[in-house]
Amino acid sequence: MIIPRTIRRLQDRRTHRNGPWANLFESYDGDEVVSLDCETTSLDVAQAEILSIGAVRIQGKRVKTSDRLDIRLKPPHSLTGESIKVHKIRASDLSDGIELEDALEQLLNFIGNRPILGYYVNYDIRVIDKFLRPRYGFGLPNKAIELSHVYHDIIKWKHVGGDVDLRFDTIASKLDIPIIQRHTALGDAITVALMYVRLKHGQSPTNTH
Amino acid sequence: MPDSFKMDNIPFSLLDQSEQALVSANLDLAYFQQGEKIIAAGEVPEGVHVILKGRVRESEAGEDQRQVYVHYENEDYFGGWSALRGRAIHDFIAEEETICHILPTRILLELMQSNALFADYFQQDFAVKTEIAAQHGKGQDMAEFMLSKITSATIREPLIVEEGTSIRDATRLMRESKADCLLARKGGRFGMVTGTDLLDAVVLKEMALDSDVSDLASYRLVTADPDDYLFNALVMMTRQQIERVVVMSGQTLLGVVELTDVLSYFSSHSHVIGIRIERASSIDDLREAAQGLNDLIKALISTGVKIRFTMDLLAAMNGRIIAKLFDLVIPADMQPHVCLIVMGSEGRGEQIMKTDQDNALIYRDGLSWASMQEVMNRFSEKLISFGFPPCPGNIMVSNPEWVNSVGDWTQKLSDWAETCEGEAQMKLAIAVDAKPVAGNQALFKVARNWFLRHLRNNDVFFSHFARAAIEFDTPLTFFGNLKDKSELDIKKGGIFPIVHGVRTLALEHRILATNTYKRIEALIESGQLQEREGREISEALSLFVQLRLRQQMRRVEESADGFDPTPNLIELQRLNRMERDLLRDALQVVKSFKKHLTLRYHLGG
Repeated sequence: MIIPRTIRRLQDRRTHRNGPWANLFESYDGDEVVSLDCETTSLDVAQAEILSIGAVRIQGKRVKTSDRLDIRLKPPHSLTGESIKVHKIRASDLSDGIELEDALEQLLNFIGNRPILGYYVNYDIRVIDKFLRPRYGFGLPNKAIELSHVYHDIIKWKHVGGDVDLRFDTIASKLDIPIIQRHTALGDAITVALMYVRLKHGQSPTNTH
Repeated sequence: MPDSFKMDNIPFSLLDQSEQALVSANLDLAYFQQGEKIIAAGEVPEGVHVILKGRVRESEAGEDQRQVYVHYENEDYFGGWSALRGRAIHDFIAEEETICHILPTRILLELMQSNALFADYFQQDFAVKTEIAAQHGKGQDMAEFMLSKITSATIREPLIVEEGTSIRDATRLMRESKADCLLARKGGRFGMVTGTDLLDAVVLKEMALDSDVSDLASYRLVTADPDDYLFNALVMMTRQQIERVVVMSGQTLLGVVELTDVLSYFSSHSHVIGIRIERASSIDDLREAAQGLNDLIKALISTGVKIRFTMDLLAAMNGRIIAKLFDLVIPADMQPHVCLIVMGSEGRGEQIMKTDQDNALIYRDGLSWASMQEVMNRFSEKLISFGFPPCPGNIMVSNPEWVNSVGDWTQKLSDWAETCEGEAQMKLAIAVDAKPVAGNQALFKVARNWFLRHLRNNDVFFSHFARAAIEFDTPLTFFGNLKDKSELDIKKGGIFPIVHGVRTLALEHRILATNTYKRIEALIESGQLQEREGREISEALSLFVQLRLRQQMRRVEESADGFDPTPNLIELQRLNRMERDLLRDALQVVKSFKKHLTLRYHLGG
């Protein structure tokens, strides 16, 4: 049964209000955002296994790269040739990875109840939820901020007719942000964070074509 | 923060692996809008900022934002100094959108504690910084700092024979080992025998083939330390007109360095020119030799020889050209009664390109020589034809004002010293840098010593004389002051204040050297300058001269007529980040030196 995320979130919140993770369900009133990215074995949520998780906190105009999460997990059984081609992560690269359980706990502690920022962030949240729910009984309750939406909302006024190109590299180049270590979880998280800060605080980009 | 932060840039390349890990674990990224103040003067900065993308200017705090000290661009760092001092003294403003890495002050201090070299780079004075940069400047444009030591050239293994070896055996041995010199051991000493010596002995002196070679050897060897600069060996050979230098480490003989080896190293012809100057028997010969000098300068600069040594060598060369010309032009019977002096930068031995001739003649009181002025005119004319441009202030021997008897000369010096008017002060400044190059040097020395005694304890004079050094405004304000916002006059801003300030100090303490570096050394020795201060001033001066020269040569090459109308101009955008960094530090050195002068000679207000 498919239940919309908002309803599930309300449900989860009621169930866990007094549990050990209650603070995750409180509404957030700070000024930080967490930029999150996962590298997985597949783009299909049902089959995807998490390989690595990267996250940084953003505070105002500051991307706090000193305050970051850079987790590699133990290689999952499904690590196949296809995904290796994308991430260039082989099983041997993950030999010193940690267990999924530990990774999830670190992640929850790092994010807390802050909003989560990402590029196609719903995919990352759904993959995490897939592993979170059986173990904790809830999915990530945090508010999600979709970078491409933030970008689109600003760009569309200047872009009459036609679709806005929302590809990662296009956005980065339009915003004139250097791409930092593409296809590593942490690198992508940092790049997304910089793009977000740029969109929030800088002038809107002038050359949209 | 892997990969977006370049660890191989100085000073972070000085850190070891675990220290670099500490850096990357503690970096933050910050975004700044165009026009945003990144660090405001008086504020406590968070730490060192390293630019990932963008452009930042450092400028005077407050209203006058046009006074830009320096621009920082990709991969430059700024704010380190402010972080260490606790407070920034200038504003740092993003000129365009800028993303910076920030390394917190806390970590910076931690690193400085664990890594002395890194600490030096951040904290130490300017001289040390250039030194560190010189040693670790791999991959940067550091050619000028690379100076090869003698050890890096071919030290030839010496061919040693014992006392009693016959000329015949020695010659055969030399032939077999393809050497053209050998060392003969006599007692505990070594003497050198060259192919020419053997030839002379047999052909000219008609010595027997079985006579002992050790009798031919010359035992006054010119030696060099293996750690000495190769270039010094070249200067030595040029000065002493020899072709081999023996390399000794303490008492141990290491080998012989030959002129050809050194020359192939420098790919220039200083010695050749030297020989040609010496052998010139006519003025035309001499002119040809003199014209080879320009190529030599270019070769030396492009090989990366340190500027001070280049100046030394050129001063020696120019001195010899002028002395030789003096020999050819002045009648032999008059030579003992006159003394030719060079003044200004030539007297200090600091000119690089052939600069204006500043020279004068001192003659014995009561000398009667009717055609003197006529001969002097000819002398100046010849020098001009050699490519020494005439002095725009007409300070040369063709001008009767600069041809004086000893009595008149001393009178002129003291007259100038008593006038506070600008032109007299300028003439005096030029004259006190005088150095005798030809003729009877005693005439010059009498006049100089009298003048130095005359000035003793004349505080009013020194106060007046020193004023010129601080006359031009804070050099740092010359940034951004001109149309292009990015040029500065390095002579007014940096070179003149140092040279004149040092000149004043030297005059007051009756230091006879005229070269600014030597004056600084003497001032340090006599305790008038602190060693650190003196060393910094020297380094700063070298940097100014070096930057100026490089830009001069480029402009000369680009211009159609081979003439540079703005010889003292430094175009800041042509400098790389390291050089801009060094230039700014060097100008700080000038600033504090001027402060020192102001206090010392009561020039405030």
